[in-house]
Amino acid sequence: MVRNKRNFFIRWVLHAYVLCTIKRHLHEINFHKIETDPDKSILLLANHFSYWDSLILYIVTRKLFKRKYHVMVREDTTVKLHYLKYAGAFSVNKKSRDMLQSLDYAAELLQSQQNLVLIFPQGKLYSNFVSDINFEKGATKVMAKAEGKFQLIFAATFIQYMRHKKPTVTVYLENAASATKTQDELKNAYQQFYEKAKAEQTEIII
Amino acid sequence: MIQQRRNAFVHKLFMPYLAYRLRRAFNVLKHDEVEIMPGHSILLLCNHFSWWDGFWAGQLAHTYLHRNFYIMMQEDHIKKRMFFNFLGGFSINRESKEVVKSLQYAADLLGDPKNLVTVFPQGELVSNHAEEVNIERGVDYIVKKIKGDCQIIYYSAFIEYFESLKPSIYFHFLNCGTNHDFDFEKVKALINSHHKKAIKEQINAAH
Repeated sequence: MVRNKRNFFIRWVLHAYVLCTIKRHLHEINFHKIETDPDKSILLLANHFSYWDSLILYIVTRKLFKRKYHVMVREDTTVKLHYLKYAGAFSVNKKSRDMLQSLDYAAELLQSQQNLVLIFPQGKLYSNFVSDINFEKGATKVMAKAEGKFQLIFAATFIQYMRHKKPTVTVYLENAASATKTQDELKNAYQQFYEKAKAEQTEIII
Repeated sequence: MIQQRRNAFVHKLFMPYLAYRLRRAFNVLKHDEVEIMPGHSILLLCNHFSWWDGFWAGQLAHTYLHRNFYIMMQEDHIKKRMFFNFLGGFSINRESKEVVKSLQYAADLLGDPKNLVTVFPQGELVSNHAEEVNIERGVDYIVKKIKGDCQIIYYSAFIEYFESLKPSIYFHFLNCGTNHDFDFEKVKALINSHHKKAIKEQINAAH
């Protein structure tokens, strides 16, 4: 398992890279301002349809949540892009026994109120047009292990061009009841939130 | 109404530049196959959700459909970018009485089998996630006024990112038949069912 590492210099370079790339490729990032509890860490669950997701949510974390950013990434990606560990990435491998270790590690991170852990429960990249969100079991396990220490937030990202040359990103955020227990309850709660966000995106007419 | 002043020389200079801009902004432009009828002009209908739509249509007309490209644009838009006039842009203003003139003008262009006219039948920018495609009645008027053979083609375009920083565009073509067997309501239903099917296919797209 690959754990995230601290290196001030590399982190600074990656931060500058993210800001530059976003400025170059995107028109703007919009997100809802939601209230967070300063005494709790944050578990962020988001949809995964592009390489951009984690960069966008990194910016949202910096601007809104103001926590230390951590993201659960597939092991093959952390091996290929080995510098990701300096930007808060830690690995998960569904096929290995290490998986429990990764989930424990995520729960451990959630013990500290300064941290934010981002998990993509879909487990891999899906089309931006999916209506049913595939939900893996890991998130529920992390929640059970870190119960009471964190605040659960749902995020759904959409990218649209409309009248600008560069695309505009909209991130929908919602405080979810972190008491949600079973896999199915969590899945349904996220599905409901996602459908509402998608319906709002669909209605845009200019 | 602003008429087109298509210039072969300007077009020849612009196409490599467009290819360069598309290459820079997008990862891949993927389209499926559609039967292109020889000896027919083409009325190209597309979903309208971005600034780039017209450019994609221009690129497809050049590289795949092999016709001279013309495009119907909103009058206030073309007035700001009169350069597109030289690339086949002509105007339509839905609020003015000249709207019929613009539609007739499109129909006249389609009289020549070498031409392709792009129309955004929705008439406005609509979200890429929209499942309904609204077809304005203007399309019916254009097709009824065409003298000669014309094929009607529709495509649904979708933006996807997946592993790339740059987006990819997926075009799903639909052959809507010719102007001789055109029935507005039927084609409207056909396009809508195709669009829904295309979204389903898109969800399972390989990447």
